[in-house]
Amino acid sequence: MSRNNIKIFSGALVCEGSKLRGDITVGSGTIIHPSATVIAEAGPIVIGENCLIEEQAKIIHRVPFDQQNKENIPILMIGVHNVFEVDCTVEASKIGNNNVFEPKCFVGSRVTVTNGCTIGAGCHITEEQILNENISICGAKCQMREGLDKPAPQNLQMETLLKMLPNYHYIKKPNMKQQV
Amino acid sequence: MELGDVIYNKTEYVETASGNKVSRQTILSGSQNIILQGKVIVQSEAIIRGDLANVKTGRYCVISKEAVLRPPYKKFSKGVAFFPLSIGDHVFIGEKTLINAAQIGNYVHIGKNCIIVMVFNMRKDLENLEEFLKASSYDSINHLSPIKTLFLKYVMYWELCYMVYILVQGRRAILRDCCVIEDNTVLAPETVVPPFTRYGGSPGIQIGELPECQADLMIDYTRSYYQHFLPSKSA
Repeated sequence: MSRNNIKIFSGALVCEGSKLRGDITVGSGTIIHPSATVIAEAGPIVIGENCLIEEQAKIIHRVPFDQQNKENIPILMIGVHNVFEVDCTVEASKIGNNNVFEPKCFVGSRVTVTNGCTIGAGCHITEEQILNENISICGAKCQMREGLDKPAPQNLQMETLLKMLPNYHYIKKPNMKQQV
Repeated sequence: MELGDVIYNKTEYVETASGNKVSRQTILSGSQNIILQGKVIVQSEAIIRGDLANVKTGRYCVISKEAVLRPPYKKFSKGVAFFPLSIGDHVFIGEKTLINAAQIGNYVHIGKNCIIVMVFNMRKDLENLEEFLKASSYDSINHLSPIKTLFLKYVMYWELCYMVYILVQGRRAILRDCCVIEDNTVLAPETVVPPFTRYGGSPGIQIGELPECQADLMIDYTRSYYQHFLPSKSA
C-alpha cells in the first residue's frame, strides 16, 4: 500500500510540502497547499478540477470498520469546485461538486456528500447519511438547513493563489497532459 | 500564580538575537514577510502563512503547537487580495487555533481549538449604503420643499458619517485589547470582540466580562511563560 502513484494534470498546483499517499489523481486547476494531507489508504482518490485544499486539511479514503477484506472498495471521487479549508478532516465515501468544508469540520466515512453542501466550522458529522443538495450545517449543535443556492465558488481567490504560491513554494511538476 | 517550567529540547528551537524562540518543526512560508518583534515563542508544527501577506506579531507572544496564522482575504471586483495580519503585544494563542483575522490587539488570550475567521465585507456594506441612499432615499425626497430636502440631506449626511464611523471602527476593532476567547470558540466573520470581554461557544458570543487588571494579568502570564520556557540542560 506504500506505493505512491500520483497523477497531477497540467494546470494543477500541488505544493511540495503536501503529503500525498497512495493512488491519487489531481485534476487541473486544483490547488493543494503545503502541509495538506491526502491519503488513499483503501483505494484510489480522484480529485476533480478547481478544488482548493488548504493547509492541515485531511482527505482520507479508509476501509470501513465493518469491512475486513480490501476488495470491492470503490474509488473516492471528489467532484469539481470543492473547498477544503484549514484543518478539516473528510473521510466521506463520495463527494459531489461545489461543497465547502469549513475549518476544523469532521465528516465521517459513512457520510455521502452530494452537491453544494456547506459543512460549518467545527461541525462533526459521523452518522450514516446522505446530505441533500445545498444543505448547510452550522453551529455547536450541527443544525441543518437547506440553502437556496450553492455556495459561491472561490475562483477569484484561486486565481490569486495560482499566481502567488509558485513564488514561495516548490511545486510538484504535473505529469499528465490536459484532461480530454 | 507562578507557572511551571516548560522544558524544551535545545536542538529543536532556534533562538534569535531579539529573543524569539522558534521551533524547527514549524512551517513558516514566506519567511521574509514574517516579523516577530522579539521574545516570541513559536512552538512545533505551527504554521505562519507569510507567503499570502505580511504577518506581524508584537513582543511576548506565544504561538502554541499546531496553531495556524493565515492572513485574511478580501474580494474585490478584479480579484482577491490578502490583507496583512497584525497581532499586538502579550498575546497568547492556544493549540490548534486558526487565526484568520485582520487585527488582534494587545493582551489577548485565545484558547485551544478556536477558529477566528474574518472576511472583510465592510467596504461592500459601505458601497451598498451609498447606493441605497442614492437610489431610494434621494429620489423619494426630491419632491419635498427645498429646505426640507436640504435638512434631510443634512441629516442623512450625518447619519452616513456616523455609519461610516461605526463601520471603520468595526473593522479596526475585530479583536480589541484585553479580551479572552475561550477554548473551542468559533468566531463568525465580522464578529467584533470589544475590550474586557470573554467570548465562547459556536458561534462565539459574549459570556462574561474581565477585570480592569486584565492587561497586567496578560503581561505577567506571557512574561512568565517566556521566562519558564527553558532549554533542557543535558542537551
